[in-house]
Amino acid sequence: MTLLWSLLILAGLGLVFGVALVLFGVLFHVQEDERIKEVEKMLPNYNCGACGYAGCRQMAENLVSGKETMVSKCKPGKKDKNYDPIVAYLAAHPDPDGTTHVPKI
Amino acid sequence: MNYLAAFVMAIISYALIDNVVLSRFYGICSFIGVGNKVKSSLCMGAAVSFVIIMAAAICYPLYNYLLVPAGVPFLDTIAAILVIACLVMIVGLVMKKFLPGLYQSLGIYLPLITTNCAVLGVVSENIASKLDFGMAMANAVGTSAGFTLVIFLYACIRVRLEAANTPKAFKGVPIALVTASLMAMAFMGLQGIGV
Repeated sequence: MTLLWSLLILAGLGLVFGVALVLFGVLFHVQEDERIKEVEKMLPNYNCGACGYAGCRQMAENLVSGKETMVSKCKPGKKDKNYDPIVAYLAAHPDPDGTTHVPKI
Repeated sequence: MNYLAAFVMAIISYALIDNVVLSRFYGICSFIGVGNKVKSSLCMGAAVSFVIIMAAAICYPLYNYLLVPAGVPFLDTIAAILVIACLVMIVGLVMKKFLPGLYQSLGIYLPLITTNCAVLGVVSENIASKLDFGMAMANAVGTSAGFTLVIFLYACIRVRLEAANTPKAFKGVPIALVTASLMAMAFMGLQGIGV
């Protein structure tokens, strides 16, 4: 009986909070540049901080905005696995006004 | 009237005499991490206060009217952690939407409120001391006021210390830790005041 109640209560709480979080996520949705997410996916996602930013997400933001011009600041990244796809992606996806920020390797 | 007086006294006691950071040593992580800029320290205080008060208000009925009647009071910690994690996520979402600059400056310390022991400390203390709802809220309000006050004072001192001519070996975090210990000693002077 105790086991059943524990399971039910925890599952119920999880469901309630999950629904609440989804609602808040939709309610407070922030429109973001979708290239940031794509570049973040191409980084190694170790969040090691070796590039000097707080994590891969911040590195991706700076690469997309053009503030960071050296993709090889990402130390654990590999040329063929990470650097080349990011350079190709950013060359193919310019800003809305047409300017591209292609980082160097 | 007596209850009201006890409520106010409890808030003062939790805020100053049993200060959460300086005499119970909860929440040191964000205290050291964010307490170097006055503005971000105040915002951290506000975010932690919101989470503490909401967590105490939600966990009290959750424990007393759900977990105890169901015969599973041992689930209090995990249920409290669920509540706290959910609240912190909500604070993060709201802040990202309306205060993006602040969201950046608090950085990793905002999601880390989840593991801030001041929050879980208040909730589990309310349960362990079998406080009623009013006293539990007094604990939450007092603790969050104490946290905000202390992190604000600490940030003011640290901003001033950056301009001071500290010895090279003490620059940065070491002098900040010495400052925190001196503040703790100052707050010890309040102990023994009967309220």
